[in-house]
Amino acid sequence: MATVARPEPVRIPPTYSEITHDIAATLGRPGRIYYVLLGFVITVMLIGAAALLWQVRYGLGVAGYRPPVMWGVYITTFVFWVGIAHSGTLVSAILYLFRSAWRTAVYRTAEVMTVFAVMTAGLFPLIHVGRIWYAYWLIPYPNQRQLWVNFKSPLLWDVFAVTTYFTVSTCFLIVGLIPDIAAARDVATGWRKKLYAITALAWRGTDQQWRHYTRAYLYLAALATPLVLSVHSVVSWDFAVSIVPGWHTTIFAPYFVAGAIYSGCALVITLLVPLRKMFKLERYIHEDHFENLAKLLLLTGMLVGYAYVVEYFIAWYSGNDAERSSFYFRAFGQYWWATWTMIICNGFLPLFLWFKTIRRSIPAMFLLSLFINLGMWFERFVIISVSLAHEYEPYAMGHYTPSWVDWSILAGSFGWFFMWFLLFAKNFPMVSIAEVKEIIPMPRKERAHA
Amino acid sequence: MSLLERAAEAAGEAVSRRRFLKVLGVAGGGSLAATACGSQSPEKLIPYLIPVEDQVPGVATWYATTCRECPAGCGVHARVREGRAVKLEGNPDHPINRGKLCARGQAALQGLYNPDRVRGPLARNAAGNFEPISWQDAITRVGERLGAAPGAQVWFVTGNEAGTFDRLVSDWLATLGSSGRVVYEPFGYEALRHATREVFGTDELPRYDFGAARYLVSFGADFLETWASPVEYTRGFTASHAFTDGKMGKFVHVEPRMSLTGQNADEWIAPVPGTEGVLALAMAHVIVRDRLGLPPSDAARLRPTLQSYAPEAAAERCGVSAEAIERLAREFTAGPSLAVAGGMGAQHADAHSTAAAVHLLNYVAGNVGRTVVFGAAPNPTGGSRYQRLVDLTQAMQNGSVAVLLVHGANPAYASPSGLGFAAAMLNVPFKVSFSRFLDETAMQADLILPDHDPLEQWNDFEPRAGATLLQQPVMQPVFDTRQSGDVLLELARRMGGRMAQRFTAATYKDYLQDAWRRLHQQRGSRETFEAFWTEALMRGGVWSEPRPRGVSLAAGAARVAVTPPAVPEARFTLIVYPSSVLYDGRAANRPWLQELPDPVSKLGWSTWLEIHPDAARELGITDGDIVEVGSDAGTVRAVALLYPGVRRDVVALPLGQGHTAFGRYARDRGANGYQLLAAAPTAFGGVQHYAAVTVRATGEHEVLATRAGNRRQLDRGIAQAVTLAGLVEEGFEPHHEAHAAPIPERIEEVLDQWQEEQYRDWKERGNYAGEHPRWGMAIDLSRCTGCSACVTACYAENNLPVVGRELMQRGREMSWMRIERYFEGGGEHPLEVRVVPMLCQQCGNAPCEPVCPVFAAYHTPDGLNAQVYNRCVGTRYCSNNCPYKVRYFNWFDYQEPSDPTFSWPEPLHWQLNPDVTMRSKGVMEKCTFCVQRIRGAQHQARMSGTPLRDGDVVTACQQSCPADAIVFGDLNDPGSRVSRLATDGRGYHVLDGLNTRPAITYLARVWNRAEA
Amino acid sequence: MKERPGGVLAAFRHVDAAAHAIRQLKELGYRDFTVYSPVPNFEIMSAVGHPVSPVRVWTLVGGLTGCLSGYAMTMWMSYDYPLVVGGKALGSVPPYIIIMFELTILLGALSTLAGLIVHTFRTHRAAAYDPRFTNDLIGIFVPCPPERRTAVQQVLQQAGATEVRFEQ
Repeated sequence: MATVARPEPVRIPPTYSEITHDIAATLGRPGRIYYVLLGFVITVMLIGAAALLWQVRYGLGVAGYRPPVMWGVYITTFVFWVGIAHSGTLVSAILYLFRSAWRTAVYRTAEVMTVFAVMTAGLFPLIHVGRIWYAYWLIPYPNQRQLWVNFKSPLLWDVFAVTTYFTVSTCFLIVGLIPDIAAARDVATGWRKKLYAITALAWRGTDQQWRHYTRAYLYLAALATPLVLSVHSVVSWDFAVSIVPGWHTTIFAPYFVAGAIYSGCALVITLLVPLRKMFKLERYIHEDHFENLAKLLLLTGMLVGYAYVVEYFIAWYSGNDAERSSFYFRAFGQYWWATWTMIICNGFLPLFLWFKTIRRSIPAMFLLSLFINLGMWFERFVIISVSLAHEYEPYAMGHYTPSWVDWSILAGSFGWFFMWFLLFAKNFPMVSIAEVKEIIPMPRKERAHA
Repeated sequence: MSLLERAAEAAGEAVSRRRFLKVLGVAGGGSLAATACGSQSPEKLIPYLIPVEDQVPGVATWYATTCRECPAGCGVHARVREGRAVKLEGNPDHPINRGKLCARGQAALQGLYNPDRVRGPLARNAAGNFEPISWQDAITRVGERLGAAPGAQVWFVTGNEAGTFDRLVSDWLATLGSSGRVVYEPFGYEALRHATREVFGTDELPRYDFGAARYLVSFGADFLETWASPVEYTRGFTASHAFTDGKMGKFVHVEPRMSLTGQNADEWIAPVPGTEGVLALAMAHVIVRDRLGLPPSDAARLRPTLQSYAPEAAAERCGVSAEAIERLAREFTAGPSLAVAGGMGAQHADAHSTAAAVHLLNYVAGNVGRTVVFGAAPNPTGGSRYQRLVDLTQAMQNGSVAVLLVHGANPAYASPSGLGFAAAMLNVPFKVSFSRFLDETAMQADLILPDHDPLEQWNDFEPRAGATLLQQPVMQPVFDTRQSGDVLLELARRMGGRMAQRFTAATYKDYLQDAWRRLHQQRGSRETFEAFWTEALMRGGVWSEPRPRGVSLAAGAARVAVTPPAVPEARFTLIVYPSSVLYDGRAANRPWLQELPDPVSKLGWSTWLEIHPDAARELGITDGDIVEVGSDAGTVRAVALLYPGVRRDVVALPLGQGHTAFGRYARDRGANGYQLLAAAPTAFGGVQHYAAVTVRATGEHEVLATRAGNRRQLDRGIAQAVTLAGLVEEGFEPHHEAHAAPIPERIEEVLDQWQEEQYRDWKERGNYAGEHPRWGMAIDLSRCTGCSACVTACYAENNLPVVGRELMQRGREMSWMRIERYFEGGGEHPLEVRVVPMLCQQCGNAPCEPVCPVFAAYHTPDGLNAQVYNRCVGTRYCSNNCPYKVRYFNWFDYQEPSDPTFSWPEPLHWQLNPDVTMRSKGVMEKCTFCVQRIRGAQHQARMSGTPLRDGDVVTACQQSCPADAIVFGDLNDPGSRVSRLATDGRGYHVLDGLNTRPAITYLARVWNRAEA
Repeated sequence: MKERPGGVLAAFRHVDAAAHAIRQLKELGYRDFTVYSPVPNFEIMSAVGHPVSPVRVWTLVGGLTGCLSGYAMTMWMSYDYPLVVGGKALGSVPPYIIIMFELTILLGALSTLAGLIVHTFRTHRAAAYDPRFTNDLIGIFVPCPPERRTAVQQVLQQAGATEVRFEQ
């Protein structure tokens, strides 16, 4: 990824004080649109919450489950959000290690998205269990039940992977924020000044602070990198280690990781386009960044498409009846529409990214990113629910249709995510002040000396 | 008794079953006293300070009595805990069912505890509504009416009562000076009686020995489902037809529709509806023509009768090829054989000649006296005749009925609606019903005097000559009901005069015992009456093998001629058959039975129309479409079910649903097939259950209430079968589903070694230390008929909730055990139906266990696949990872009374088994191999100091199975029955390729025919 | 925080000038001065010449602890209450590797963070400050007694400070 393009030299880079000023400007008093948006997403979230309460009161039966499909929209959405969470750390950590300059303008958005996506994802294992009030039994702590947890269960791997991922990416986000908050503090006024004065943790950018800071940031990046690749692998093993035809596949880990980064980048684009418009950040986030993201999309999109092909090939090549029948059912069974949505959105649409004009056209990218998000949700749905609908026991096959509860909770999760995102965007810099400055050389007296 | 038993246990001596039962008899004797003093009122806690006589908390009491759910009269043992009957099991010594019980028998408890029972006498007030009144008042009212009415204008309708109560009613009416006794069973045996009179000149019905017949041809008789005595016949059938040491009988089923019985046939022949008789006579023709077997000397007399039934001629009429007829005739006479006509074969306009034809066939084949025996005088329906109901209806219409009493029958529902019985009842000034439920007939009554449930009453029953079975109260009456016998006696006393002199017994129990004193004298046994009575109570009755008597052809035999009813063009022949689960609708208010998937259609809670896929395609009908079925008598709406097991010109509809009353579980559900049937009685005075109908799609559609996902087993070897020839010649090779390259030997060895190491490792740790049994099961598919008795037994034993139609449409029923049905062949190949009971396989390497994050699913030391409800968080991963899909999730709080989905409305929950925990919302559950019975037996053995013997642990499904297809035991004990079966040549494991090492071995089905 | 010492506070616009000034000060024997910069800058860091931050040790120790505790926890819990599932070994390492890995990362990251906080506190010096230092100016604060301020001021100004002021 080191090969991704640098910004073109023709642009006049902004000066440091311009940067500080422009970005600090995004933290001003919000307008009416902002409040309307916030109000809307909170309402959606509350609808989801109501549906959840209903479900807790009367039991999971109010959701559309139909045996043998025991996992439906909830687990699908869990995997969807965990996947979203991946591009964040990818952009911030992996691209940091690769020293790619273009990340500086977008990585904050990506990281914020990551943290809130994991927060959202983390809710779904709880929502989907039958006895949410006992969900804490999955935590290994000395308890009056005198019982430990079963570390052989993939679900427990999830508990560890997701909590770890949440903690580490949160640390990463906060550490990255400190210098920027300090910068904001020094230009802000009123209550914001007080807020930043506290949250900046007495940062002044002294030589000692930078000395430890740069190191710590490096190691965090170094730790986060394998984590990114591991978390979605672990999630994929929830399925891969089972014996369900359509789940039990060795390709799952790389397949899921690619898919995760794919969907993550797509959502980053979806978020950046309105963001740069509203915050007037065109000068900092421009076509080059979208083109680079587009290239990431293209790469991961091709990987995902390849995985689709391989899945079907292996299903045929393995000669395993159950496997073949399961994949035939996917493509031509009752759920054909879901399968083809996924294949078209994730397999064919990214091919447009071969064209530079598309990559550099922001409306096109925005549209494309929406389709990819849709496709990726359906990919998880197809993998999870459709495989379950067509297992070994022919008599016990069944067709599952989600109920209003499933859909409201799904919608609610988006409300929850965007609520946090909006609240954050207006109160903390969505573009890293320090790092954007970093890639612009400081002024010098003698040019020659350089 | 409990004191005795406790003493016995304390003394640590084994309580032998016989002794146990002897104790029961006494308890039975004592139980009325207990009932009277009401000391075992179930609402109250049990006082430990002053122990109640005859019950120890936590120890079950068993009472022997008789099942009255259908006319068969099976003997049952009621398991009573803390004064409540919680389970019915077959009486092992009983001549009819030998310890087995069908689904309907199991569900008798839900009649006893039905929340819609009439809770006390009701009278219709001026406003036309029922209001409770006192028994005194009620009986006075009836007394006055009876006193006022002329005796001849009193009519009494009963169901099948054979025994003392039957005689009481007859005497009672006679003394009143009435001849208005009507016995009504919708499925009477008029045709058979008529035919028997014609052919053999006797009124008595023959008794069939299925066990002795090696070649069985059934002309429509669904003897595995509802006909006569299903449990008894199932036992006989499996005795002759199950594969045992290289041999088995052959069974040919002749019926336009493939019933469950037909599905168990080696050969299914679907003749033109109504022409079964033609086929029978054609076979007889061949036998007489070629002198096959050893026809009796006077068989020649039948030549003229059989003349016109030469195979070629017959083939055109009945649609069965002449070759087939010739072959059948030869096979039929090759060995001991039996042909039976009954069920739907005996319900069409010409059924009497079908039955007569089959009599002739049996006669010429020399079966009469061998497999068709006279002298036992079976009396399945108390001599019911539809004709009598017609007479009564006319009498009511002319207003010549003053008082109508109805007991144990529901003619307002279960008679052709064209007859207008319900409407005619309005002409009767005073109608009394003894019904236990507000059924359609009771709704028309002016006064309801609810009878005791059969499990609460003293009575006896004679299913056939020589077998007199006793009923005793197994618990205190649940409601303020009164036994009808007592009511009749009370009435007699009130009316005084002749009546009072004629009926002097104080209670019906005394009346019954008087009758038994006479029986005691007849039998001339030396023991005292008390000893005789107690012994009878203990055993459930008295019986002796009847002495067969010979019969010879009567004059009528020569007149037998088959004239099948003609069906108008462009119409289907509709067969309205009794549901094998709800029978004629009398069981429709039992939630277990409503939820039990019909063995043929696999649907619950609904009325469906079976239609051949090709015919359906022409009409543009698919599964789940709502169709309108119209006959000359009326129209009903039902959901279409495409079933390759009916002729293209035939549609079939089950009875049992479509109630307009009869309680919450039955009301407004499905359609009532009687609305399609002609009111006119047949020549032999029966109901015609055939009709010519048109079928029309309404454009509406519904989701079928079934779990059945795929009708074919996709070549995965779930239900495996082999032909007899193939089995005997090259043996049985289990089917394996195709895999990638097979695992190399070397790897296999390494894996096995590794596995062994694990076993050794466990044996040193925690609970796993030491030697343990490995519980296992063997299911013989060559015995299993798919009758589903085991399923209901499981509901009763393990407190399984009933979820209702809507959830069943979502496939959420909780039946831990299900009977899977798969179609094979079809099209040009003969249709084959295979069934396989699917329950938790208790895998050695269970895929469900390791995926549970909280150890709710784990492996017990004795090899059980435990599910700990308290630990379960409800991730449902175990179910995803279970290849057999036998784990069931509590989607709702079925056990919470305040919850809308509560499954046991008062007093249904009295039936709950105290040994089995209730499962709360959000936990997974599954078959436990009846672990409570395992532990119970182990404790019993420990207390008595004797080791656990093979057969001491009997699971509920195994206990109930009429075909004895299920065997349970310890696989680590090489001597056990189950270990021997586990290594049987026909044994296979379902989905063996997954290396789950199941504890259940299935023994492949064997078909006695050319190709599989 | 203890009483801020007096000294000279200089602001630079050019990075090379600042670096030059730092070198000058070091030659004059000043060690305890504080340099502010809006971004981490190699030129300045090398001029200041700190040794590598010890935070990495924290990361290493944290990581190793996580890995080992992961192994210890899983194994001990498996045998403390032995429950057989799916015919598998009681303590089966392959799945436990995942737990070990996750704990490695988790504790590694947390202890890195701890290290960062500890060391920044340890090396914190009370010093004069100007808000523009987080914006676009580089600042140098040299704590010194009043009599030597002029000398320092000269050094800084010659190096190219845009402004210099005394802090009481």
